[in-house]
Amino acid sequence: MIRSNAEELLRSNIGRFVDSELIPKAQEIDARGEFPMEMFKKIGDMGVFGIRYPKNKGGSGGNTTLFCIICEEIARGLMSMGAITAMQCLMGTNFLFHYGTDEMRERYFLPAMKGEKVACFCLTEPEAGSDLGNVSTIARKTADGYVINGMKTWVTNGPVADFYTVLCQTDPEKKFRGLNFFFIPRQTPGVSVSKPFDLLGTRTTLISELAFSDVKIPHHHMLGAEGLGMDNLLSILSEIRTMTAALAVGLQRAALEDSIRYAHERAQFGKTIANYQLIQAKIANMAVNLEASRLMTYKAAKMIDNKIQCLKEASMAKYFATEGACKAGDEVTRIFGAYGYSMEYSAQRYYRDNRFLLYGGGTHEILQPNIAKWVGL
Amino acid sequence: MKQMQIIVLVKQVPDTTEVRLDPKTGNLIREGVKSIVNPDDRNAVEAAVSLKEKYGAKITVLSMGPPQAIDAVSEALGMGADKGILLSDRAFAGADTWATSGTLGKAIKKLGDFDLIIAGRQAIDGDTAQIGPQVAEYLDVTQATYVCGIDEVRPDAIVVKRRLEDGIERLELRLPALLTVVGELNRPRYPFVGRLLDACREKAPIEVWNAADLGFKTADVGLEGSLTHVVRTFSPKSKRQSEMLEGSARDAAASLIGKILNKKLLRETV
Amino acid sequence: MSVWIETDLCNGCKRCIKACPYDAIEMRGEKAFILERCTSCGSCISVCKQEAVKTDAVPRTIPDFSDWKGIWVFAEQRDGELLRVSLELLGKAKELGGELEQGVSAVILGKGIERLCDTLIRFGADTVHLVENESLRLYRTAAYTKVLARLVQQFRPSVLLMGATHLGRDLAPRLSRRIGVGLTADCTELSIDKTEKILLQTRPAFGGNVMATIANRYSRPQMATVRPGVMKTSEIPGQAGEVVCHDFKVEEKEIGTKVLELVREKKKKTDLSESNIIVAGGRGVGDRKGFVLLEELAELMGGELAGTRVAVEEGWISQDRQVGQTGHSVRPELYVACGISGAIQHRAGMMNSRYVAAINKDPRAPIFQVADWGIVGDLHEVVPEIIKQLKTGSWNKQQRGGGD
Repeated sequence: MIRSNAEELLRSNIGRFVDSELIPKAQEIDARGEFPMEMFKKIGDMGVFGIRYPKNKGGSGGNTTLFCIICEEIARGLMSMGAITAMQCLMGTNFLFHYGTDEMRERYFLPAMKGEKVACFCLTEPEAGSDLGNVSTIARKTADGYVINGMKTWVTNGPVADFYTVLCQTDPEKKFRGLNFFFIPRQTPGVSVSKPFDLLGTRTTLISELAFSDVKIPHHHMLGAEGLGMDNLLSILSEIRTMTAALAVGLQRAALEDSIRYAHERAQFGKTIANYQLIQAKIANMAVNLEASRLMTYKAAKMIDNKIQCLKEASMAKYFATEGACKAGDEVTRIFGAYGYSMEYSAQRYYRDNRFLLYGGGTHEILQPNIAKWVGL
Repeated sequence: MKQMQIIVLVKQVPDTTEVRLDPKTGNLIREGVKSIVNPDDRNAVEAAVSLKEKYGAKITVLSMGPPQAIDAVSEALGMGADKGILLSDRAFAGADTWATSGTLGKAIKKLGDFDLIIAGRQAIDGDTAQIGPQVAEYLDVTQATYVCGIDEVRPDAIVVKRRLEDGIERLELRLPALLTVVGELNRPRYPFVGRLLDACREKAPIEVWNAADLGFKTADVGLEGSLTHVVRTFSPKSKRQSEMLEGSARDAAASLIGKILNKKLLRETV
Repeated sequence: MSVWIETDLCNGCKRCIKACPYDAIEMRGEKAFILERCTSCGSCISVCKQEAVKTDAVPRTIPDFSDWKGIWVFAEQRDGELLRVSLELLGKAKELGGELEQGVSAVILGKGIERLCDTLIRFGADTVHLVENESLRLYRTAAYTKVLARLVQQFRPSVLLMGATHLGRDLAPRLSRRIGVGLTADCTELSIDKTEKILLQTRPAFGGNVMATIANRYSRPQMATVRPGVMKTSEIPGQAGEVVCHDFKVEEKEIGTKVLELVREKKKKTDLSESNIIVAGGRGVGDRKGFVLLEELAELMGGELAGTRVAVEEGWISQDRQVGQTGHSVRPELYVACGISGAIQHRAGMMNSRYVAAINKDPRAPIFQVADWGIVGDLHEVVPEIIKQLKTGSWNKQQRGGGD
């Protein structure tokens, strides 16, 4: 039977959206530095946010590979938008989807799938970034539910989110076994949101601190069985890293495509700079990095779809693709010459935005030792 | 009123805006040219889906092309069409508009009753704009081309606006009717991801028909069933000797003005 | 039916590759190889000197059409005024008729249009078929199709030409299907094949990237629509002709459509097809502000402003100033293309310009292939320079002094 290839068809359609709707507005959105609500809604209208969830539960019936294709394509247009989309598709909604009550799903998850509500994920604390055992946001169990006190930082979408998935400690004695996720709607009394941070890159992804002061929530707002918070986080860690790698692939593509176009346009000494070998070397390196990053990313994505353990492969992909994105962001600004230094061109955006990829999903200072360990060191 | 039956004609085309010419040979570079849904046809699908949302309708999308044209059908399903038919057979290849309209017309007859057929004004690879009216004639229904607005649908008639070169015509047509639509009619939505993925599944409501399914013999369709034939193709090569004007913007501008005045194309005292 | 190559006979001359309209033959080693996308059209068979291209197709017999004679032109009128394209078609018809030794007829439909017949005769019609009727006052597809189908079947012309206007492109395909003939759309060139005595119709295909010459061997009349603006009119003073009036009734209920309202937009002063100088902009212009710059240049040169499809879609310029496949065809003395890559769709509309100057950042832009003079550079720098130098006359010093 003749049928379309879902991966190719999804890529071409999301790509068309990115080319005709997102890219023409990317510079303007980035310069404005506000949450791109209009674009967020447009992406929601297409059913993109439900890509990881089954169709009969409000999703779009995709998988991790298709999710990565979406992340890559959108990041190619604007990294911030890719980051916001990934948050909405994965970390911001995953635990609500799996462990929320029907009522919570109805009120928050389904609207989030349509882009009517913004989701976010609160993990990092001032004293606990990579070291999650140190989480000090405390959820104290009472007869009516939990009382939450503490502080979260580097919360992507924090300033605009309608609900939060928050990692809390219920029993500091138990260390990792005391970690649990909680669902907290924004309007719950005791929640306060800081002003957005002033950031180097992804300037339209709003990131802030959140403070919880005697925030009272019912028992059923604990997402997942007690004591399994860390296990549940680990269950999506490979996916988070693979998704980050996909964002990096998107940025590399954007940088490479712009570089090639510019190299053909820019003439010096009577010929276009595409004719100069040092430019050719840069383009070749960018292309090779891109190809390798892409292979590693989609290998990990396919493993996730086939339910094969792939934390090693995902970590390697995230590390390599992100480093590739950093190099591509550097090279594109060189190929553009002084125009790479101008805010008028998009090259500078690739240079700044690639930094975002370094921190999410594990810093490379954490990943490299792990990778070394996994290969037998 | 019984449920309205709408048929939308879509075509997959090479993205001709992407085509470049080989600077040395002047030939087309066909490699790497994407296939896309013909732009006007997206407007046709959007028109049908809007009507479905307003009045309720069942939309069948019909396409003819090689197997990979299934993507155009899938995209239309992603936008909101209910059912897809792809006419695909080696025998259909090389068809002119006579053979194509006959093939599409026969497929529509096989589909049964309909109220409305909507097609794009023209396909960017052929630009003939002939298929719509020829299918309308084959099926003996009323037609409106260059539709830029759909004002009203009644059980027996439809009122549309037509874009003319020098104005707008409001036309009432008896149903069933065929419309060909222009880009200004609407802004096509992007396919809904969930629907798009469904259209790729085995159980998707898409059928592929070949010449035999339509009761055709090879001689009825494709190149053999055509009345017009391509005798020769050639690159629209320019006879011009291009001269590149070098130097800074100032120098280049000066030489250009010199050239223009030299040919007495401008009065010298502008 | 299929086409194949006897590799033993093939000498690798590549003639078949050049002849293939579908780009479906390539070289594999030293031999030609037919690819999957072959449509078995047979164009490669006759060009092969080795007779290496074989087919199992039975040659189609061409019916005898010797009693189909005359070149017909459908003359389009709107509100009692003839369209220029109708006269262009008559000019071409006269030329074709000369070669075929056949007469030229115009057919015109409407109400209260008798006075137009003289003009048609003056521009080349030997005979004018006039059909006047209240139901034909405003164009409606079914009514016009019915009348024309009857006239064609009665008088059996060999060729029928129509303008590729909105009306022509609505009517011609409908009529062709009714009378069972092939139709070639949007022709830019018409000629007669000397041996077969048939009409060769040349039109842009594949978005204008290739030109295709099409023949209509198996049905009569040979129908084609022709793009307005590409053929020349020729007035023949003192030409005599005859007007034949026909009386056809068309019942309202057969028509099936009603024109509820017809709003003619005010005719703009601009007529690109009449303009001697055109300054046109495309995607590279960047925004509406850029077009203000081009407008200044156009004004300074005494020309008109035009744009590509992209410029129209972006809202930088109005649709009536669009040049290209889906816009106007123009033939000015000078065409200045600014920030236009020269997509073939655009080139199709301006190729007949006498001189073309192009300014574009991308040296690979195809516009340079059709330009007499090209400047690789940013139009936002070059155009202001041109304006400045035209205003001050400093281009002259530049030329002599040379450079910074």
